[in-house]
Formats: sequence, C-alpha cells, structure tokens
Amino acid sequence: MSENGMSSFNRREFLAVVAAAEGAFILGFWAPPQAKAQDATAEINAWIVISPDDTVTIRIAQTELGQGVWTSNAMMVCEELQCDWAKVRPQYASANRDARERAPEWTLQVMGNGATDPRGGGEPGFGSRDRTGVSGIPDSLYRRMRTNAASSVKDGRYYLQLAGAEARERLLLAAANLWSVPVAELTAKDSIITHARSGRTTTYGKIADRAARTPHPNPETITIKPPEQWTLMGTERKNLDVPDKVAGKVVYGIDVRVPDMKWAAVKACPVYGGSVKSYNFDAIRQMLGVRSAMQFPIPDTALTRGRIFSGGVAVVADHWHQARTALDRMPIEWEIPPANAAFSTAGMHEALIAALDQPGRVRVNQGNVDDAFARAARIVEATYSTPYLPRARMEPGNATVLVTGNRVDVWMGDQSPQEVRFSASKITGIPEQNVYVNLCHLGGGFGRNGNGPQAEQAIMIANAHRGTPIHLLWTREEDFIGTTYRAMGMARLKAALDADGWPMAFDIRTAMQEDGFGPESSFDVASRYHVPNYRFSNHTTKFHVPVGTRRGIGQAAHEYYRESFINELAHAAGKDPYRFRRELIARTSLPYKDDMIRALDIAAEMSGWGTPLPRGTARAIALEERGAETNRMATISAMVHTVSISREGTVKLERVDIAHDTGFSLVNPLSVKKQLEGQIIWFYNDAMHQANTIKDGHIVENNFNAFKLSRINEAPPEINIRFFKTGHWLLGMGHDRATSVQSAIGDAIFQITGKRFRDLPYGGHDLSWA
Amino acid sequence: MAFDLNVNGTRHTIDDADLQTPLLWVIREHIGLTGTKFSCGIGQCGACTLHIDGQAVRSCSVPASMAVGKKVTTIEGVSPDGNHPIQAAWKEFDTPQCGYCQSGMIMSALALLQRSASPSDDDINASVTNACRCGTYHRIRQAIHLAADLMKKDGRRQ
Repeated sequence: MSENGMSSFNRREFLAVVAAAEGAFILGFWAPPQAKAQDATAEINAWIVISPDDTVTIRIAQTELGQGVWTSNAMMVCEELQCDWAKVRPQYASANRDARERAPEWTLQVMGNGATDPRGGGEPGFGSRDRTGVSGIPDSLYRRMRTNAASSVKDGRYYLQLAGAEARERLLLAAANLWSVPVAELTAKDSIITHARSGRTTTYGKIADRAARTPHPNPETITIKPPEQWTLMGTERKNLDVPDKVAGKVVYGIDVRVPDMKWAAVKACPVYGGSVKSYNFDAIRQMLGVRSAMQFPIPDTALTRGRIFSGGVAVVADHWHQARTALDRMPIEWEIPPANAAFSTAGMHEALIAALDQPGRVRVNQGNVDDAFARAARIVEATYSTPYLPRARMEPGNATVLVTGNRVDVWMGDQSPQEVRFSASKITGIPEQNVYVNLCHLGGGFGRNGNGPQAEQAIMIANAHRGTPIHLLWTREEDFIGTTYRAMGMARLKAALDADGWPMAFDIRTAMQEDGFGPESSFDVASRYHVPNYRFSNHTTKFHVPVGTRRGIGQAAHEYYRESFINELAHAAGKDPYRFRRELIARTSLPYKDDMIRALDIAAEMSGWGTPLPRGTARAIALEERGAETNRMATISAMVHTVSISREGTVKLERVDIAHDTGFSLVNPLSVKKQLEGQIIWFYNDAMHQANTIKDGHIVENNFNAFKLSRINEAPPEINIRFFKTGHWLLGMGHDRATSVQSAIGDAIFQITGKRFRDLPYGGHDLSWA
Repeated sequence: MAFDLNVNGTRHTIDDADLQTPLLWVIREHIGLTGTKFSCGIGQCGACTLHIDGQAVRSCSVPASMAVGKKVTTIEGVSPDGNHPIQAAWKEFDTPQCGYCQSGMIMSALALLQRSASPSDDDINASVTNACRCGTYHRIRQAIHLAADLMKKDGRRQ
C-alpha cells in the first residue's frame, strides 16, 4: 500500500531527521520538490536561506489559513532582498528555535514616526513580554508567531522588510569583499549582483556561503523601502501554495502521518465545566483496532486563558474510524455542574436584558445626555441581539503529538504555536527548548485557534502514551464543543432627535458575558456619527460558555448594532441613509473623517445610489471602520449592498460595491480582494443563517445539518471593489470587513417588507411581503 | 475480510478494514491518499467528494463496499501534474483560500463538467452544492466557466 511517501522511514530515521532539521521535516514531507533541503544551503539570517541554485527559502512565522500570509510575508522579505520571486519558497519558521534564540537586536526597534509616516514601520503591537505566548513574545527570535487580529502585515512588515534588507546588504558586502571593490558600486536585482564598472556579475546562490559568514557592520543603519519604492509589494501576486491546493497535495494537520502513529477519538462533556464520572472500556476493548482508553481532566485553565472547557474520554485505535466507532459505543457517565446545566438560551437572553438595566462600565460620557433626552423632539430606541457563533472551520480540530523521554513533537495547524509550546511543556514537564511545534497549513482559522483545547487534549493523551505518536481528531460534533464562541450579545441604543431629525444625544448600552471580546468596538472614545451628547456603557453578566476571538471579534456585532441603528434614525428623520451618514461624519472632528466620507462617496457612486430599482430590491449602505476614533492606524471601508427579496421571502444578495482604504499601500491586493469576497460570505452567513443556541448547558447545533453554511447559489453574482489611498498605515483587513452585510440585509428587509427585525439571524423570520 | 479497490487506476488490497467502513477513511488511512478531506461526517458539506464511476459521491457517508468493482477517482487522480484544465482554471483565479474544501469542490465541478460541457450558473448552483467556509464561491463560479472553455479547447471531457 502506498503510504504517502512515508513508507521508507523507520522510527529511528524519523527521529534523526526531526532532530536534525526541526520544522523542515514536515516541509520535506509535502512541499514541492524544488523546496526540499538542498546541499550547501546558506542561512543568511533567521528568515532567509539561499541555495547554490538561487532558490531562496523564506521562513514564515505566521500560519497560512487562507489569508495568504505564506505569500505576503514572503513578498515583504523578497522586496528588500531583491531576489527572483520565481525562486522563492516559503517554509514555516521553527517554533523550537524561537524558544532557544533571541531576536536580532536590529529587529527590535520600530523605525519612523508611527501610523502616518510612510517611511516608517507603522505601529506594530506586541504587548508585554508574556512567556505563555498569548500576546506573542516580543524578543524571542520570531517575536510574534501568532496569527490573529488581521495583523500579520501590520505587525510583521517592518522587521520582515528589515530581514530582507539585512541579507541583501550582506550579500553585496560579501561580493564587494571578494572583488575588492566598494560596496556602493554594486547593484542587486533578481538575485544577480552586478559591478557595472568592471562588468562582473555573480548570483546570490554563488555568494550566499560567503554572505552567511559576513556580519553586517552597522545593522542599526539598515533602512526599509517606503511604498513609492516598492516593486513587488503592492502588486497582485497569486498565492504560492495554490498549485498544491488544487492538486490535493497540501498537508494540513489532519493529514500528518508519522510511523507507528495511533489515532485518538475523544468525547468531552457536552456541558462546559463537566467531566467524566465513569466509562466502561470493557464494553469496547475487543473491537477491531482498539488499543486503549483513558479519561482526561478539564484542561488547566492556565493553558486556555482562563476558559473552562470540559473533561472527557479518549479511545486510541489503529485507525480513527475504529476509535470513533468504539467511542460511540462506550458507556460514559458525566459529572455535570448543576449551575452550568441550568443555562439555556432564553434565560441567557433575559439575563442580558437585565444586565442592560443594571449600572455598567461607562466608557464615554460627553455633554449632558440626560438633559438632551429631556429636551428631545423625538426619542428613538432599539434593542438588537446577536447569538453565540463558532468558527466552524472546515478542518475539524486535530493535533499529532509524540512525547518521548525529554522531547515533545507536535504537528498541527495552529494560530498560536508559542502557546502550544508552553502547553506542551507544562503538561509534560519537558522544557520548552525541547518542544517542537511543526506547523501545518490550517483548513480555515477564523479566530485564533490556539485557545481551543485540541492541542492540550492531544498532549495529555500522548503524555500517557509516551513513545507512541498520537493523532487526535475531533468529529464535527466535537469541534462544536471544543471551539470558543463569539459571545452572545445585545445592545440598547437610544437617540434623542431634534425637530429636524438630527441627533442631540446617543445613549448606547451593550451587554455580553464578562469575558467576551471587544466590548469597546465601534462605539468607544468618540461617536463616529456626530452627536453633542454621548454616553456609551458596557454591561456584563456571567455565563459558562468559553468565548474567544472569532473572525470580526467585537466589531462584527457592534458595527451591526451601530449601522442598523443609524439606518433606523435616517428613516425616522426621513433622510437618505447615505447623505445622513455623510453629514453626521462631516460634523465630527475625527481625524480620518475625510477618508470615511470618501469611502461612502465612492461606494455610493459605484452602486448607482439613488437610481431606481425594481420592486422587491433595495440598496443599503454602511460605514466600516476600525481605528477611526484616533489618529493612529485605521482601516476604513464602505459598502453598498443591493438585496432582493421575493414575495415568498427569499433573500438574495445581488451585488456588493466596496470602497476600501489601502492606507499607504496594500502588500498583496489580490489577497485583499479575496479576503473581502470571503468576508461577504462570512457575514452573509451571520446575517441569514447562523446561530448557536444553548439547551441545558450544551450547544444544540453541532453539525452542518443544523448549523447552516451558505452555498454558491447564495453568493452574490456581482462584487465590485475599488481601492483608495489614504495617509496612514492599515490596521489590517482580514477579519472585520463586510460586517455591513448584516445591517444592510436588515435594512433591505425593512425597505421591502416594512418589517424591522433586530435579532440575528434573519433567516428564521417570515420575510414574505405582499 | 480483505477486499480490493481500484483508486486512480491502481488496485489496492485492503486487509485491515471492514467493508462497512466509510469509503473516505479507507481512502485516507488505509490507502494513504489524503487529498480527500473529512469535515462533517454526515454528507452535508462535500469536502470528501470523489468520483465512483464518474459520479460525484460524498465518501464520508458511503461504505467502502459501494466502491468494490468500480473505478474510484480522487483529487490525486485528476491529473498527474496538477494541470488538468479544471486545475488550471482554479489556478488562474487563485481560487482557494484555506483550500480545505477545494478538493471536494473540484471533484463536484468536474463531475458537472463531464456531463455538461457548458454549464449555466443555474446548473452550477444545482450541482456544486459543497460548502466553503472561506467564501471562495465568487472565484469558483468563474473558474468553472473557464474550465468549461479550456476543456472544450482541449477536447478533453475526462
């Protein structure tokens, strides 16, 4: 039988290869043949390895999960290195080496003057030193290995450009020394170094070995190219892994095979906080392929950022289907905390409403809100709600772990390998310097994956089976238990309007559970829409569902609340929702107000705003921004959604017109377009189909029959994207764009049917009209 | 009981799984072809789509016995070099994002193209019912139309 290229490996060879090459093993396992380790390669710095044939291996410290980081990170290095893009091969950086080495000194200082300096490094956020890896580790070799918050370009750009520039300067210096000519007389382009005066040339591949031994004399003098000098960055580049993806060759975590590996299927208690009372392995031990069973505790909350998941049972077998079938037949009794089993969606909804009536944390209080409401010509009030939502990435949670005497190997796709490294060390007692997290591509991310417990479960199981590699794989149903959710939330928005319908005061209250992410989103610091009196407060209660950073984090729900309410106010005032927004932004003193107006203007113009539409079709506009309340980094877009609703109530998103801020420049505009397209589908699903409810403490919708994913028939036939340049660095765009699909469909429903719904998803409502 | 499967033109003898094992797991674990993906396990999402005698089948939900004596084609069998017109079209639009659903998506679209040389948008909607969580549908639709053109030029329907 074929064995995926692994059949010739025996175990000793395998361990020797892993020991010698660290993360390279997994690469050699699946990457195109050209990318395999070659003789006499030279590492110039931790990001760049050059082979004699001029192949340039670029180490990627973020995880490719569809966002294109495999390509955009490589572009940032290649731009400065000035190597031949056709010979670039990405490779995952070693999380083990990251535990052993400190970042080069020349990467630690961000150059320039922040968000509005085109020559600088922007405003990368690294947080404080945190050895758990939750916030990245600011001075470890690869610094931030996490992949989150749409930050791979924003945080990594300056030091990835620096890494390319440092290597280029050393390659030039090595050639200058070899030829005894001044380095200033040399030029580099497409991996070729030329000395024009003497007509000599060499290639990076030929000089790499010397360059690796030539230190940079003044690394603190290295500068990076500003956007006007970019030749590769800023151009559309296809993703480097797409050829493998269309051939079924990419190895995701689920595809990892190592010699003598056994498979584990698990069941965690469906009610969070529950654990195993008993299980009966004797009932299944005779089944084909079954090896062992074990129970595991609730993962240590110090490894899951305080989130309480569940304890559970694992069955280990020769093949996963055997393990899973046996586990399904094994009797298990759960120990369930009664307080957690008492949670159900209706009661939780009531608790959030009650929280809105309690005093909350007042974040903003400008002017005199109560006085303005007393003077108002009219008061508009609306309460919106959003459900729990999971990531539901297509690849179910999995991890392969081998624990031996003083070493741990983990193979998985993960958005936070530094956290996995920390967990592996804590669970096994083996130092982090001996933990090897071998990264694989992820079959979807959609919010940092490291905070679900698949790695911790797999490490616990493998630690009890030392010497045997254990591949844990969740069923889809188990994935719905093991993911973290975006918190269920509510908002009560009140506006005091003057006689002309302009807002005199806003009183905005939002509610979610205590540990929910992003409560400040979209409303904090200053109202994006001008209002003289403004109060914004957050209100919390306690629920047991583990919540985390799902795509869009707080922005997704809060921008939905805000933009829906602005539509309601425009309709109440009898004003055009585009011009109403435009005027209210124009009246603010926000630093990026001109960019916001521009976004609205472009999107409106693209969409043919104001031109007649057939009955049953409507347009709705919305502003999308992150960071527009300050003069720091920001991303600004506006979208117009054209929506039709049949008389029977079938919604169709017909067309999306997008005006999107590029900042000083995008790195890979093709990747940005793809992510915009994808986020339209993401938030369409949030708007129309998706919700998780809780019954007796457990998640109800736990597979794609009950939790609906839209298909190609619901995708908008027309998407138009226009970019516009602004004078700041972007705050990222991979997770919180197209939130406007939600408010736009809601407003189109109102325009067409006269019904105003304020709870998502809309798909559950009667949207028919006569 | 050992049984044989013909996958991508190669005969494999399976001696450590029973005939009721879902075809997906025999392909992935016993034969070792991992391009076909597991996602929902209940035939909903289509990540596990492959062909049995040219028909698109969700392999997580059919027993291996269904494929005995028939020709199974997986993503690895679409072309030796990854350059079948449908793969070329997918690359032209840089279609995949995470890529996890794309093997199944390509197999579904290929089954459609093999029975309909110029599928309409409605044909695509009716036949390519796989789920993509990254939301690559916009490019998938364009890639299917391009693949149809390329396959006609190529004179290739297989």
